[in-house]
Amino acid sequence: MEITISICLGFMLIFAVIAVMNKSMLKSAIALALVSIMLGVVLYLLSAEWAAVFEISVCSGLVTVISVSAISLTNEDKGQLQKKYMDKKRMAILPYILILSGFLLVFIVLTAKIDLPYDKISEPVSDSLSEVLWNSRQADVWGQIIILLTGAFAVVTLFKEA
Amino acid sequence: MNALSYISISFLIIPLMALFICILLKRSRQNLGFYLMGLFTLTQMGFALHGLVLFNNLKISEFLFGLPITESLTDIFTLKSVSLVILFCIGLVALVSLLIANKTMPEDKKLSYLRLLSTLILGMNGIVLINDLFTMYLFIEIIGISSFVLISTTKTQEGLESAFIYLVMSALASILILTGIAFIFMRTGNVEFSYLIEVAKTQGNAPQNALTYLSYILIISGLLIKTGAVPFHSWLPDAHQSADTSVSVLLSGIVIKAAGVYCLITVTEIFGNLYVIRLSLAIIGIITIAIGALFALHQNHFKRILAYSSVSQMGYMLLGISAGGVLGLIGTVFHIFNHAVFKSTLFTNAAAIHEETHTLEIDKMGGLQKQMPITATTSLIAFLSTAGIPPLSGFWSKLLIIIALWNAGFIGFGITALVLSIFTAAYFLRLQMNVFFGQTPESMKNVHEVGGSIKFAEVFLTIITVAVGLGFPFILLYLEASGIL
Repeated sequence: MEITISICLGFMLIFAVIAVMNKSMLKSAIALALVSIMLGVVLYLLSAEWAAVFEISVCSGLVTVISVSAISLTNEDKGQLQKKYMDKKRMAILPYILILSGFLLVFIVLTAKIDLPYDKISEPVSDSLSEVLWNSRQADVWGQIIILLTGAFAVVTLFKEA
Repeated sequence: MNALSYISISFLIIPLMALFICILLKRSRQNLGFYLMGLFTLTQMGFALHGLVLFNNLKISEFLFGLPITESLTDIFTLKSVSLVILFCIGLVALVSLLIANKTMPEDKKLSYLRLLSTLILGMNGIVLINDLFTMYLFIEIIGISSFVLISTTKTQEGLESAFIYLVMSALASILILTGIAFIFMRTGNVEFSYLIEVAKTQGNAPQNALTYLSYILIISGLLIKTGAVPFHSWLPDAHQSADTSVSVLLSGIVIKAAGVYCLITVTEIFGNLYVIRLSLAIIGIITIAIGALFALHQNHFKRILAYSSVSQMGYMLLGISAGGVLGLIGTVFHIFNHAVFKSTLFTNAAAIHEETHTLEIDKMGGLQKQMPITATTSLIAFLSTAGIPPLSGFWSKLLIIIALWNAGFIGFGITALVLSIFTAAYFLRLQMNVFFGQTPESMKNVHEVGGSIKFAEVFLTIITVAVGLGFPFILLYLEASGIL
């Protein structure tokens, strides 16, 4: 299973670099969706099924739909970045920095012997998602509702025609 | 339920009520919304002061409470004397923002502004009251989104660009904070403040695990972005300059303090006031003071100078946190209050000048003290307070921070901070001379003093600056008598 996770993480890195570096916004959006799918698979393999479901449905589904719709609404040069941004010297070195930092992170994790989730001092109260959300983390649920509400105001404020 | 319970709950219920009223409000009734929001902010200020009196009478330093909606929400918030001061500042700055927005905000944006202001207040009140690291992050997000939209309400090219920069930096801060919280959760399985403080106590002065250090670095870096400390300050001047002045006053007056400095105070306490963290914050604080002041010296836009001045003043707050102890905490919180007051005054001055002259480029101004005597006087007092000139309020908070640094053994930092305050005087002197002294340009001969709500805000804030400055020895005596000092 560890090999599958590593392969997925590798693909995630590749798609992430494509998402950042590609000059076509459409391809960038699709690459970003692929990053989310890979992350969803990793989450599933790590037994975080609920997180995987949300990651794939929201991040690779909903976000991609919104991004692609927004790109299709732009007028000129569909899929291409505006010229003034393209003329700027692009950071060709960025992918290398990202890949190097990835390796550095792996190196730190291996050398510093960082204990991953298994040395928890206390066990989680419950495994059931609804119980955790409603009993232990209800404040967060309300917080999320306020965030969504603020997001709705954001959309209204930014996109409403005067 | 006693009086303290009602007061505590009101800090969450009032902004929620404001939010729902603003949702239901029609545009034709938006002026009513302004009055109601003004009333709500005044209520918050009044309750915060009343809370401080109750704390002193009951001889308590904190009060646990929850929302009486479901059982899961019992005892999830904590009201402290420090949080009451911040809550007062939130009410005050929001009120000033309303007074400015009443004049400067375009008519079709006023309702959106009111809605976002209520979510912003809710987010800030939540941060100040919550006692859970992850929920704190959620409230930071509420503040982040609200601020982003508020910055971009002008919909100018500059406004949208700086809002985008803020969004990117804010997202980066969120990633850092969230990853840090995830690492802490991995180690402890719980992110409640009380639990984490216990864990920190068992670890003593040196956490044994690299992951713990990594989580500290990530969370503090994220919060430093929110604070606008150097080298994470790039978003702040652009956002302040291009946003409407009523929004700039919110950002500079309270948002960077509630989402940045206050959270830093909280997390350093949770992390057990480690020496290495305090030393790092002291170094960043000194660099922030110096760089902020040096950049402020070279700006020509009124609000940009104020923005860099805010960066510089954040440095003093970081120094206060790094000093630790009761004196450091009181110094920092008092400086948060003072900065909220004098920076709000200066932004109100900016709004007044912009309303009358339609420019904020200081090179194009001059001699405005004859045409705008109240704005000139209030600006001068606010500038003297920022520079730490006695007996104004800014002097006392800086003095407390420097004494706290001295007591903590950071003598070099204290002396450097003292020397660097000369720069504060320098850039404000330049600002005052360019705007209010010298010859008035022909185009500004017909300018006259601003009226209405902006003038009221200028005078109101200046009275607070002077009164708190003159009355501060009594506040110190009161703190000593209460056994806090």
